[in-house]
Amino acid sequence: MHEVSIALGMIEELEKIARENRATKVLKVNLKIGRLSGIVTDSLMFAFEAMKHEHPLLLSAEIVINEIPLVYRCNECNHTFETEDMYFPACPGCESYNLNIISGEEQHIENVEVEV
Amino acid sequence: MCDACGCGDSHHIHETKTVEVNQSLLKSNEEAARANKKHFDDKGVLSINLISSPGSGKTTLLEKTIESMRDKVSIGVLEGDIETDLDAERIRAKGAPAVQLTTGGACHLDSSLVHKGFHSLEHQMSGEKLDLLFIENVGNLVCPSFFDLGEHVRVVLISVPEGHDKPLKYPKAIKTSHLLIITKSDLVPHFDFDMEKIKKDALALNPSLKVLITSAKTGEGLDEWFAFLQSLLSK
Repeated sequence: MHEVSIALGMIEELEKIARENRATKVLKVNLKIGRLSGIVTDSLMFAFEAMKHEHPLLLSAEIVINEIPLVYRCNECNHTFETEDMYFPACPGCESYNLNIISGEEQHIENVEVEV
Repeated sequence: MCDACGCGDSHHIHETKTVEVNQSLLKSNEEAARANKKHFDDKGVLSINLISSPGSGKTTLLEKTIESMRDKVSIGVLEGDIETDLDAERIRAKGAPAVQLTTGGACHLDSSLVHKGFHSLEHQMSGEKLDLLFIENVGNLVCPSFFDLGEHVRVVLISVPEGHDKPLKYPKAIKTSHLLIITKSDLVPHFDFDMEKIKKDALALNPSLKVLITSAKTGEGLDEWFAFLQSLLSK
Protein backbone atom coordinates (compact mmCIF):
# COMPACT_ATOMS: atom_id res chain seq x y z
CA MET A 1 0.00 0.00 0.00
CA HIS A 2 1.32 3.48 -0.81
CA GLU A 3 4.34 2.20 -2.70
CA VAL A 4 4.55 5.46 -4.67
CA SER A 5 4.90 7.61 -1.55
CA ILE A 6 7.35 5.07 -0.10
CA ALA A 7 9.40 5.26 -3.33
CA LEU A 8 9.35 9.07 -3.15
CA GLY A 9 10.57 8.97 0.45
CA MET A 10 13.28 6.52 -0.56
CA ILE A 11 14.42 8.78 -3.41
CA GLU A 12 14.79 11.69 -0.97
CA GLU A 13 16.80 9.53 1.42
CA LEU A 14 19.08 8.26 -1.39
CA GLU A 15 19.83 11.78 -2.58
CA LYS A 16 20.63 12.80 0.99
CA ILE A 17 22.95 9.79 1.41
CA ALA A 18 24.62 10.54 -1.93
CA ARG A 19 25.23 14.18 -0.93
CA GLU A 20 26.55 13.23 2.52
CA ASN A 21 29.01 10.80 0.96
CA ARG A 22 29.89 13.07 -1.97
CA ALA A 23 28.80 10.33 -4.34
CA THR A 24 28.58 10.77 -8.09
CA LYS A 25 26.09 7.99 -8.54
CA VAL A 26 23.92 5.63 -6.52
CA LEU A 27 24.57 2.13 -7.83
CA LYS A 28 22.62 -0.29 -5.67
CA VAL A 29 20.05 -0.04 -2.91
CA ASN A 30 19.63 -3.11 -0.73
CA LEU A 31 16.22 -3.29 0.91
CA LYS A 32 14.88 -5.73 3.48
CA ILE A 33 11.16 -6.23 3.03
CA GLY A 34 9.27 -8.74 5.14
CA ARG A 35 6.04 -10.45 4.09
CA LEU A 36 4.09 -8.73 6.85
CA SER A 37 5.24 -5.22 6.00
CA GLY A 38 2.30 -4.79 3.63
CA ILE A 39 4.63 -3.49 0.91
CA VAL A 40 4.04 -4.95 -2.55
CA THR A 41 7.62 -5.31 -3.84
CA ASP A 42 6.68 -5.27 -7.55
CA SER A 43 4.80 -1.99 -7.10
CA LEU A 44 7.68 -0.48 -5.16
CA MET A 45 10.19 -1.41 -7.90
CA PHE A 46 7.84 -0.13 -10.58
CA ALA A 47 7.29 3.19 -8.77
CA PHE A 48 11.01 3.66 -8.19
CA GLU A 49 11.92 2.88 -11.80
CA ALA A 50 9.27 5.31 -13.02
CA MET A 51 10.40 8.18 -10.80
CA LYS A 52 14.19 7.83 -10.71
CA HIS A 53 14.60 9.41 -14.13
CA GLU A 54 14.07 12.87 -12.68
CA HIS A 55 17.01 12.42 -10.35
CA PRO A 56 20.46 12.47 -12.05
CA LEU A 57 22.23 10.77 -9.13
CA LEU A 58 19.86 7.82 -9.32
CA LEU A 59 19.82 7.03 -13.04
CA SER A 60 22.00 3.93 -12.57
CA ALA A 61 20.46 2.90 -9.26
CA GLU A 62 19.25 -0.66 -8.96
CA ILE A 63 16.93 -1.76 -6.18
CA VAL A 64 17.66 -5.17 -4.71
CA ILE A 65 14.98 -6.52 -2.44
CA ASN A 66 15.87 -9.13 0.13
CA GLU A 67 12.49 -10.68 0.96
CA ILE A 68 12.49 -11.70 4.59
CA PRO A 69 10.49 -14.83 5.43
CA LEU A 70 7.78 -14.87 8.04
CA VAL A 71 9.08 -16.63 11.13
CA TYR A 72 7.11 -17.07 14.36
CA ARG A 73 8.05 -18.41 17.78
CA CYS A 74 5.33 -20.07 19.83
CA ASN A 75 4.95 -18.62 23.33
CA GLU A 76 3.44 -21.88 24.58
CA CYS A 77 5.99 -24.46 23.42
CA ASN A 78 8.90 -22.30 22.12
CA HIS A 79 8.79 -23.90 18.70
CA THR A 80 10.12 -21.59 15.95
CA PHE A 81 8.71 -22.00 12.47
CA GLU A 82 8.53 -20.33 9.09
CA THR A 83 5.16 -19.99 7.39
CA GLU A 84 3.42 -18.58 4.31
CA ASP A 85 0.24 -17.98 6.32
CA MET A 86 0.30 -14.25 6.79
CA TYR A 87 -1.85 -13.62 9.82
CA PHE A 88 -3.55 -16.67 11.20
CA PRO A 89 -1.05 -19.46 11.66
CA ALA A 90 -1.28 -22.02 14.39
CA CYS A 91 1.85 -23.47 15.93
CA PRO A 92 2.62 -26.72 14.08
CA GLY A 93 3.88 -28.12 17.36
CA CYS A 94 1.03 -27.42 19.76
CA GLU A 95 -1.72 -25.68 17.68
CA SER A 96 -1.55 -22.51 19.80
CA TYR A 97 -2.19 -19.08 18.27
CA ASN A 98 -0.14 -17.38 20.94
CA LEU A 99 2.84 -16.50 18.76
CA ASN A 100 5.63 -13.92 18.60
CA ILE A 101 6.86 -12.60 15.26
CA ILE A 102 10.62 -13.19 14.92
CA SER A 103 11.00 -11.87 11.39
CA GLY A 104 8.77 -10.72 8.54
CA GLU A 105 7.82 -7.17 9.46
CA GLU A 106 10.98 -5.53 8.11
CA GLN A 107 10.67 -2.58 5.77
CA HIS A 108 14.02 -0.84 5.66
CA ILE A 109 16.97 0.27 3.62
CA GLU A 110 19.83 -1.99 4.67
CA ASN A 111 22.65 -0.28 2.80
CA VAL A 112 23.42 1.73 -0.32
CA GLU A 113 26.28 1.24 -2.75
CA VAL A 114 27.51 4.52 -4.19
CA GLU A 115 30.23 5.63 -6.55
CA VAL A 116 32.56 8.23 -5.06
CA MET B 1 38.05 14.12 -19.04
CA CYS B 2 36.70 11.52 -16.65
CA ASP B 3 33.75 9.70 -18.21
CA ALA B 4 32.03 9.09 -14.91
CA CYS B 5 31.88 12.55 -13.41
CA GLY B 6 32.97 14.81 -16.24
CA CYS B 7 35.81 16.39 -14.29
CA GLY B 8 39.01 17.44 -16.03
CA ASP B 9 41.19 14.79 -14.42
CA SER B 10 41.03 11.65 -16.50
CA HIS B 11 43.35 9.75 -14.22
CA HIS B 12 41.32 9.52 -11.02
CA ILE B 13 39.48 6.34 -10.28
CA HIS B 14 35.91 6.19 -9.08
CA GLU B 15 35.50 3.78 -6.23
CA THR B 16 32.39 2.14 -4.93
CA LYS B 17 31.53 2.52 -1.31
CA THR B 18 28.82 0.76 0.69
CA VAL B 19 27.02 3.05 3.10
CA GLU B 20 25.28 1.25 5.97
CA VAL B 21 21.83 2.78 6.42
CA ASN B 22 19.48 0.46 8.39
CA GLN B 23 16.65 2.93 8.19
CA SER B 24 12.92 2.34 7.92
CA LEU B 25 11.25 3.11 4.58
CA LEU B 26 8.58 4.91 6.55
CA LYS B 27 11.26 6.83 8.45
CA SER B 28 9.82 10.30 8.13
CA ASN B 29 6.37 9.25 9.38
CA GLU B 30 7.92 7.24 12.20
CA GLU B 31 10.10 10.17 13.29
CA ALA B 32 7.11 12.50 13.22
CA ALA B 33 5.08 9.95 15.20
CA ARG B 34 7.75 9.78 17.90
CA ALA B 35 7.82 13.57 18.05
CA ASN B 36 4.02 13.64 18.39
CA LYS B 37 4.06 11.13 21.24
CA LYS B 38 6.73 13.11 23.07
CA HIS B 39 4.71 16.27 22.59
CA PHE B 40 1.58 14.57 23.96
CA ASP B 41 3.58 13.26 26.96
CA ASP B 42 5.13 16.65 27.65
CA LYS B 43 1.68 18.23 27.70
CA GLY B 44 0.11 15.44 29.78
CA VAL B 45 -2.35 14.55 27.01
CA LEU B 46 -3.73 11.02 26.50
CA SER B 47 -4.06 10.49 22.75
CA ILE B 48 -6.40 7.96 21.17
CA ASN B 49 -6.54 7.09 17.45
CA LEU B 50 -9.92 5.78 16.29
CA ILE B 51 -9.92 3.67 13.13
CA SER B 52 -12.77 1.98 11.31
CA SER B 53 -14.61 1.69 7.99
CA PRO B 54 -16.70 4.71 7.01
CA GLY B 55 -19.95 4.79 8.99
CA SER B 56 -19.04 2.45 11.86
CA GLY B 57 -19.92 5.09 14.45
CA LYS B 58 -16.66 6.84 15.39
CA THR B 59 -18.11 10.34 15.44
CA THR B 60 -21.27 9.22 17.21
CA LEU B 61 -19.18 7.51 19.89
CA LEU B 62 -17.21 10.74 20.35
CA GLU B 63 -20.45 12.73 20.63
CA LYS B 64 -21.65 10.41 23.41
CA THR B 65 -18.26 10.56 25.10
CA ILE B 66 -18.15 14.34 25.11
CA GLU B 67 -21.73 14.56 26.39
CA SER B 68 -20.92 12.29 29.29
CA MET B 69 -17.40 13.31 30.23
CA ARG B 70 -16.86 16.94 29.34
CA ASP B 71 -17.59 18.21 32.84
CA LYS B 72 -14.79 16.10 34.30
CA VAL B 73 -12.32 15.78 31.42
CA SER B 74 -11.07 18.35 28.91
CA ILE B 75 -11.51 16.73 25.48
CA GLY B 76 -10.24 17.88 22.09
CA VAL B 77 -10.66 16.17 18.72
CA LEU B 78 -8.72 16.04 15.47
CA GLU B 79 -11.13 14.97 12.73
CA GLY B 80 -9.68 13.26 9.66
CA ASP B 81 -11.63 13.17 6.41
CA ILE B 82 -10.96 13.37 2.70
CA GLU B 83 -13.41 16.23 2.35
CA THR B 84 -15.78 18.42 4.40
CA ASP B 85 -15.72 19.49 8.01
CA LEU B 86 -19.03 17.83 8.81
CA ASP B 87 -17.53 15.75 11.61
CA ALA B 88 -15.67 18.64 13.23
CA GLU B 89 -18.94 20.57 13.25
CA ARG B 90 -20.70 17.71 15.04
CA ILE B 91 -17.99 17.68 17.71
CA ARG B 92 -18.15 21.44 18.20
CA ALA B 93 -21.93 21.22 18.55
CA LYS B 94 -21.32 19.04 21.61
CA GLY B 95 -19.10 21.71 23.14
CA ALA B 96 -15.64 20.30 22.49
CA PRO B 97 -12.94 21.97 20.39
CA ALA B 98 -12.21 20.27 17.09
CA VAL B 99 -9.79 20.75 14.22
CA GLN B 100 -10.73 19.26 10.85
CA LEU B 101 -7.84 17.68 8.93
CA THR B 102 -8.86 17.24 5.29
CA THR B 103 -6.43 15.12 3.34
CA GLY B 104 -7.88 15.98 -0.06
CA GLY B 105 -7.15 12.50 -1.30
CA ALA B 106 -4.97 10.57 1.11
CA CYS B 107 -6.84 7.65 2.61
CA HIS B 108 -5.28 7.94 6.06
CA LEU B 109 -3.95 10.56 8.42
CA ASP B 110 -0.19 10.80 8.82
CA SER B 111 1.93 12.08 11.67
CA SER B 112 2.84 15.35 10.07
CA LEU B 113 -0.81 16.28 9.54
CA VAL B 114 -1.57 15.31 13.15
CA HIS B 115 1.36 17.46 14.32
CA LYS B 116 -0.04 20.50 12.53
CA GLY B 117 -3.57 19.74 13.73
CA PHE B 118 -2.48 19.43 17.34
CA HIS B 119 -0.73 22.78 17.24
CA SER B 120 -3.85 24.30 15.76
CA LEU B 121 -5.98 22.75 18.50
CA GLU B 122 -3.65 24.03 21.23
CA HIS B 123 -3.88 27.47 19.69
CA GLN B 124 -7.67 27.23 19.60
CA MET B 125 -7.78 26.23 23.26
CA SER B 126 -5.44 29.13 24.12
CA GLY B 127 -3.77 27.83 27.23
CA GLU B 128 -6.63 25.68 28.55
CA LYS B 129 -5.31 22.28 29.62
CA LEU B 130 -6.21 19.37 27.35
CA ASP B 131 -6.56 15.98 29.05
CA LEU B 132 -7.80 13.73 26.27
CA LEU B 133 -7.15 14.00 22.54
CA PHE B 134 -9.18 11.90 20.14
CA ILE B 135 -7.83 11.51 16.61
CA GLU B 136 -10.66 10.28 14.41
CA ASN B 137 -8.93 8.76 11.40
CA VAL B 138 -10.23 8.72 7.83
CA GLY B 139 -12.88 6.01 7.44
CA ASN B 140 -10.81 3.11 6.13
CA LEU B 141 -10.02 -0.26 7.67
CA VAL B 142 -6.83 -0.76 5.62
CA CYS B 143 -4.38 2.14 5.38
CA PRO B 144 -4.63 3.75 8.82
CA SER B 145 -3.33 0.46 10.27
CA PHE B 146 0.03 1.08 8.64
CA PHE B 147 0.63 4.61 9.88
CA ASP B 148 1.60 5.36 13.45
CA LEU B 149 0.40 8.82 14.44
CA GLY B 150 2.20 8.87 17.79
CA GLU B 151 -0.99 7.94 19.62
CA HIS B 152 -0.93 6.21 23.02
CA VAL B 153 -3.91 3.99 22.30
CA ARG B 154 -5.47 2.76 19.08
CA VAL B 155 -9.13 1.77 19.02
CA VAL B 156 -10.73 -0.09 16.09
CA LEU B 157 -14.50 -0.05 15.59
CA ILE B 158 -16.47 -2.67 13.64
CA SER B 159 -20.23 -2.23 13.45
CA VAL B 160 -22.73 -5.12 13.42
CA PRO B 161 -23.97 -4.48 9.83
CA GLU B 162 -20.39 -4.85 8.54
CA GLY B 163 -20.36 -8.50 9.48
CA HIS B 164 -18.49 -10.76 11.87
CA ASP B 165 -15.86 -11.72 9.25
CA LYS B 166 -14.11 -8.34 9.32
CA PRO B 167 -11.30 -9.18 11.77
CA LEU B 168 -10.04 -12.01 9.54
CA LYS B 169 -10.34 -9.85 6.43
CA TYR B 170 -8.61 -6.82 7.96
CA PRO B 171 -6.12 -8.40 10.33
CA LYS B 172 -3.66 -5.50 10.49
CA ALA B 173 -6.36 -3.21 11.93
CA ILE B 174 -7.00 -5.78 14.68
CA LYS B 175 -3.36 -6.59 15.36
CA THR B 176 -2.25 -2.96 15.70
CA SER B 177 -5.12 -1.92 18.01
CA HIS B 178 -5.48 -2.10 21.79
CA LEU B 179 -9.28 -2.15 21.88
CA LEU B 180 -12.00 -3.41 19.53
CA ILE B 181 -15.43 -1.85 19.92
CA ILE B 182 -18.27 -3.75 18.24
CA THR B 183 -20.78 -0.96 17.61
CA LYS B 184 -24.49 -0.79 16.73
CA SER B 185 -25.20 -3.86 18.89
CA ASP B 186 -28.90 -2.94 18.85
CA LEU B 187 -28.97 -4.16 15.21
CA VAL B 188 -27.97 -7.77 16.02
CA PRO B 189 -31.58 -9.05 15.62
CA HIS B 190 -31.62 -7.76 12.03
CA PHE B 191 -28.41 -9.40 10.82
CA ASP B 192 -26.80 -12.84 10.76
CA PHE B 193 -24.10 -11.63 13.10
CA ASP B 194 -22.16 -14.13 15.20
CA MET B 195 -20.93 -12.15 18.22
CA GLU B 196 -18.96 -15.08 19.61
CA LYS B 197 -17.17 -15.64 16.30
CA ILE B 198 -16.07 -12.03 15.86
CA LYS B 199 -14.66 -11.95 19.41
CA LYS B 200 -12.94 -15.33 18.99
CA ASP B 201 -11.33 -14.35 15.68
CA ALA B 202 -10.20 -10.93 16.93
CA LEU B 203 -8.62 -12.43 20.05
CA ALA B 204 -6.92 -15.15 18.01
CA LEU B 205 -5.27 -12.43 15.92
CA ASN B 206 -4.44 -10.30 18.95
CA PRO B 207 -4.61 -12.09 22.30
CA SER B 208 -4.08 -8.88 24.26
CA LEU B 209 -6.94 -7.05 22.53
CA LYS B 210 -9.71 -5.70 24.78
CA VAL B 211 -13.22 -6.02 23.37
CA LEU B 212 -16.29 -3.89 24.13
CA ILE B 213 -19.80 -4.13 22.69
CA THR B 214 -21.71 -0.86 22.41
CA SER B 215 -24.84 0.73 21.08
CA ALA B 216 -25.05 4.51 20.93
CA LYS B 217 -28.81 4.07 20.47
CA THR B 218 -29.52 2.01 23.59
CA GLY B 219 -26.50 3.05 25.63
CA GLU B 220 -25.27 -0.53 25.95
CA GLY B 221 -21.56 -0.71 26.74
CA LEU B 222 -21.04 3.05 26.97
CA ASP B 223 -20.39 2.99 30.71
CA GLU B 224 -17.68 0.39 30.13
CA TRP B 225 -16.15 2.64 27.44
CA PHE B 226 -16.16 5.65 29.79
CA ALA B 227 -14.63 3.49 32.54
CA PHE B 228 -11.93 2.33 30.10
CA LEU B 229 -11.08 5.96 29.31
CA GLN B 230 -11.04 6.91 33.00
CA SER B 231 -8.69 4.05 33.81
CA LEU B 232 -6.29 5.24 31.08
CA LEU B 233 -6.50 8.84 32.28
CA SER B 234 -5.68 7.90 35.85
CA LYS B 235 -2.44 6.12 34.81
